[in-house]
Amino acid sequence: MSDSARSEIAAVIDIGSTAIRLVVAQLGETGEWERLDRAARPVPLGRDVFMSGSLSRESMQQAITILTGFRELLHGWQVPDNAVRVIATSAIRESRNRDTFLDRVLVRTGLKVEIIEGIEENHLTFLAVQHAVAPMKARFSRANSMIIEVGGGTTEIMLLKRGKMVAAHSLRIGTVRMEQEVRPMWSSGDQIEEYMRENIRVSQELLNSELPLGRIKYFVAVGGDARHVAHAVGVKEEEHYWSISRKDFDRYLDELQDRTVDEIVRVNNVTYNEAEGLVPALTVYRLFLEETTADELIVPDVSIREGVLMRFALGSEWAVERQFYGQVVASADNLARRYQYDEAHSRHVTDLALSIFDQLQDEHAMDRHSRMLLEVAGILHDIGTYIRASGHHKHGQYIVQNSEIFGISRDDLRIISNVIRYHRKALPNSSHVAFVALRREQRMQVLKLASLLRIADALDRGHAQRIRSVRTEIVGGDVILHCDYSGDISIERYGFDSKANMFEEVFGLNAIIS
Amino acid sequence: MSTTDTVQPRYVNRELSWLEFNARVLHQALRTDVPLLERLKFLCIVTSNFDEFFMVRVASVKRQIKNGDFAQCPSGIAPSTLLDQIITRTRELVEQKYRCLIDDVLPGLAAAGLVLRRPDEYASAQASFITKLFQEEIFPVLTPVRATEGQEVPYVTNLRLHAAFIVEPQRDANLISEDGEQATGKFLAIVQIPSSLDRIIFLPDEAGRVSFTLLEDVIVQHAAALFPGYRVVSHCIFRVTRDADMGVDEERDEDFVEAMEQVLAYREFSEPVRLSVSRGAGELRKILARVIGIDESEVFDKGEPLDTGALMGLTSLPGLDDLKYPRWPHYESPDVDPDESIWDSIRKRDILFHHPYESFDPVIRLLQEAASDSSVLAIKMTLYRTSGDSPVVRALEKAAEAGKQVTVLVEIKARFDEERNISWAERLERAGVIVIFGIARLKVHGKALLIVRREQHGVRRYVHLGTGNYNDKTARLYTDFGLLTASPDIAYEAGLFFNAITGYSAIPALNKLVMAPVGLKTRLLQLIDRETRRSSSDMPGRIDAKLNSLADPDVIEALYRASQAGVRVRLTIRGICMLVPGVNGLSENITVVSIVDRYLEHARVIYVHNGGAPELYASSADWMPRNLERRVELMFPIEDADARARVVAMLQLSFADTTNAHRMQPDGSYLPPSDTRTSKAIRSQEALQTIARERTRSTDVTNQKVFEVRRKAPRG
Repeated sequence: MSDSARSEIAAVIDIGSTAIRLVVAQLGETGEWERLDRAARPVPLGRDVFMSGSLSRESMQQAITILTGFRELLHGWQVPDNAVRVIATSAIRESRNRDTFLDRVLVRTGLKVEIIEGIEENHLTFLAVQHAVAPMKARFSRANSMIIEVGGGTTEIMLLKRGKMVAAHSLRIGTVRMEQEVRPMWSSGDQIEEYMRENIRVSQELLNSELPLGRIKYFVAVGGDARHVAHAVGVKEEEHYWSISRKDFDRYLDELQDRTVDEIVRVNNVTYNEAEGLVPALTVYRLFLEETTADELIVPDVSIREGVLMRFALGSEWAVERQFYGQVVASADNLARRYQYDEAHSRHVTDLALSIFDQLQDEHAMDRHSRMLLEVAGILHDIGTYIRASGHHKHGQYIVQNSEIFGISRDDLRIISNVIRYHRKALPNSSHVAFVALRREQRMQVLKLASLLRIADALDRGHAQRIRSVRTEIVGGDVILHCDYSGDISIERYGFDSKANMFEEVFGLNAIIS
Repeated sequence: MSTTDTVQPRYVNRELSWLEFNARVLHQALRTDVPLLERLKFLCIVTSNFDEFFMVRVASVKRQIKNGDFAQCPSGIAPSTLLDQIITRTRELVEQKYRCLIDDVLPGLAAAGLVLRRPDEYASAQASFITKLFQEEIFPVLTPVRATEGQEVPYVTNLRLHAAFIVEPQRDANLISEDGEQATGKFLAIVQIPSSLDRIIFLPDEAGRVSFTLLEDVIVQHAAALFPGYRVVSHCIFRVTRDADMGVDEERDEDFVEAMEQVLAYREFSEPVRLSVSRGAGELRKILARVIGIDESEVFDKGEPLDTGALMGLTSLPGLDDLKYPRWPHYESPDVDPDESIWDSIRKRDILFHHPYESFDPVIRLLQEAASDSSVLAIKMTLYRTSGDSPVVRALEKAAEAGKQVTVLVEIKARFDEERNISWAERLERAGVIVIFGIARLKVHGKALLIVRREQHGVRRYVHLGTGNYNDKTARLYTDFGLLTASPDIAYEAGLFFNAITGYSAIPALNKLVMAPVGLKTRLLQLIDRETRRSSSDMPGRIDAKLNSLADPDVIEALYRASQAGVRVRLTIRGICMLVPGVNGLSENITVVSIVDRYLEHARVIYVHNGGAPELYASSADWMPRNLERRVELMFPIEDADARARVVAMLQLSFADTTNAHRMQPDGSYLPPSDTRTSKAIRSQEALQTIARERTRSTDVTNQKVFEVRRKAPRG
């Protein structure tokens, strides 16, 4: 960021399933923002994609027209090009012709669209939500909560146990997605509810296994539909969020269910676009709400767009991650717990690995983000034993590659799973597809992190945490690991050399235990 | 005015209410305490009001009769009955108007040295002057047209003055007609009074006196020259009013003064609605009615001059100031400190302008300053009815050329404005302004200006919202409020409003501001209903409102409900009021006044007591279905305590006015003001002018009476 004005102006354009939305905000250094301007125009991108799999020509044209208008709007604010973020979610993400669309947008408007994955939607929404409900932080840290956003294509759900992230999922349930199936049933609100109840059951069971929904006290509903209800029957508690009593919410939804879409447009004063998705969205909220013991809904006055703004405002990746670093770790912990890992061992190995990482900073020159990946890898490195002890590094790779961890992007997952793969046994070679598919710098990352992890793992071979801590000292071409231990560490010593082989290859230094 | 029904009507018919409005304007002309030229002006305004009324409203009523005569107005009157009542009342008013003009105003002006001379009053020098003028300039452009027997004459254009002659061949003349036979018999000839020539012809006169005559009189005097070999048997002056197109903008009150300059040439040859004929026309009256194609009951006999509006030109003659209202300066608002940057002033506190008591210049200066300020990023505004070289347009051009993003929403009326206004809109476009030519199916009537400025601590927005147009001319003649604020909430919503009307965004949900057609009516009804609900015998509700027209049945019903619940409702409505006040069991707590004075009352505000937490809103919209449902309008809150107090004071003065406030009666008629000039009389516009003056005085150094002297204290 430049050194000029304290605050600068940034903008986010969000290409969603039902509309393209824009926010222009003035940013402070520590992530606060003040909304300056806002615009939104409907365009049925989700309908095209969820029905036929690709974007229609008309919708693409419409979208480009809207984006061109937004460009003009931004010009009035003199937002520099590098302060504009354009994101796209499920509709564009899943369309077959998305590359064509992205290219056309770039050519016609000069805007570069960033497609974000489901789990990253969580991440960004969480950033914004956290900021909005900051006054409630103390209460959140004492009870369990659920953050849920029902969108056009997906529903993002995050479960927090006493303020710590326990699960983060992106479910393929969305108002537009459901619309095609639900449309013929429109006349009966009860039928819609039943249908959706069945659809959601599986997801609810999954969530329940991670955190009993019945013990959730705070229900945070994010999204335009929730905001609509908040405007109508909610109470503005603080600057950035509303509270709706469960009773008022139920009553409002019941009224809506008795109306046709046209009536909703007229009576509830919304556009046709909004009216179509209102009942399905609110029904999903209700179905989840029912499982909890929350007696009110908290509706923050933010969306994923504010999350993007905050990420932009905070600048470096690390500053952002510090915001929810604890959540990432908690999420990883929870995943590991599901696979009944040896918590003490994994935690200890992780600590050792991080300690070595910090001490050898000059040697590996990796950043804080990599450190976090190492930590997650450390927590999860043995979960493959859930399936089978033999080959558990490969099983672990597979599990992690196909899991959802809050705050970890797909790219990062690839790195972590590879690090887990190589924490024991064979070193990477050209026949290992998952490794070869990585970019060059990612491969280097894997190699470095895996070597550190291997050493740390070797230091607790016995799973008894006998080596309490380690101090590194570089002497000539060697790295001496001075261990502070208790008891007999012969097991640890025994396998050390074989595990340290990767370290030598990668860093060109001999690792010696002393 | 009152019907013969036994049941008290619930609504006053809109057209009949309008006639009473024009009657109030006429009342101003009849008053002897109004200066002569102003009285003349009011007479002219009455005339042009009638022109528009017949062209649009009466034409519409006639069409309703043709289409089945179904009652359409909530008052339940059948169109044919309505038309009869309209014509009867109009005749009364026209009679009063001409008596006033001919018996009072013209003689009064003559006594003051401004004399209308008829041809039989010309001095010899004047007579020869006229004859020469006729031969050299008038005769060449006259085109008499013979009206063929049995055929209608569609070439008599809307609202233009014409002279009609019955001519017969002179006895000794030898005339051959077209078919070769001797021409005998009379025929009708029609001559259009040329609009390219001045209607008022000034005559040479002795110093200190101005004499003038009328073009049509000159033409009639020399008519023989038009028909060589024929003799003029009878003559008259007449004017036809025709049905205007359906798409015409009905907001006549916006053009109250511009009306004089506009010629409304819509469907030039559409259905005739009214025929005005000069007195003493004799058989011509019937003949003309037949050839024009109008029923005799719709023929109006007028004194002369017909089309009184032409006399408006007299009011701008120099040197007649004692015949006009005393000059009322437009004061500079004391809230705008010339030593301080305007931006700082606005940031400190909201600034409320009360035009025309306070000058509109600060708003123009704001725009001009924004245009040359390098920190200004963008300017957005609505421009409804402005002229090509207004300073507003020039400032916008300059701003665009300086690289700022300028967005302007322009309202262009169909067809008529295309010649006048479109050229300046194109000029703006060429300068780089984003010009939006209105919204489909909706007129944008809200008045807003938004300026975005980059400042040291970030971006700031400044908003101007008003009840009147960004037109420096009307700002000197209409009363209006304008609010300048930097409040972030209002500025943010103003931004959303512009995003919607410039097409970037869908219509937003607003909190502070209220927009029609998506919520203004709802909010209005909410405000009234809330007052109704909260009203109790200990603390009765109070609603005070000022508008130009009240014609929406839903709003009227809400006000009736309020009255029945004990809410005191006071309305000051300049024009149409379809609500019936003071009826037991319906509206006994509602009083309606109407103020007509030198300035056109134009501001719109509503004040609700709200149980001790009062709210005050100003708006661009009147309470008519047209405004609330078919236009884009803006209503905004006035929250600054001082500003609020000033608006409330204006409302109080309106209801306390004793010299210019007409009080509406339960039968729809209005009681004129008591017209006293005693020391207790209150003239609201004058009081407001005084207030504006006093506000500037309090900061004026010359008002000091004692010098503050620096010296050693005197020894006693």
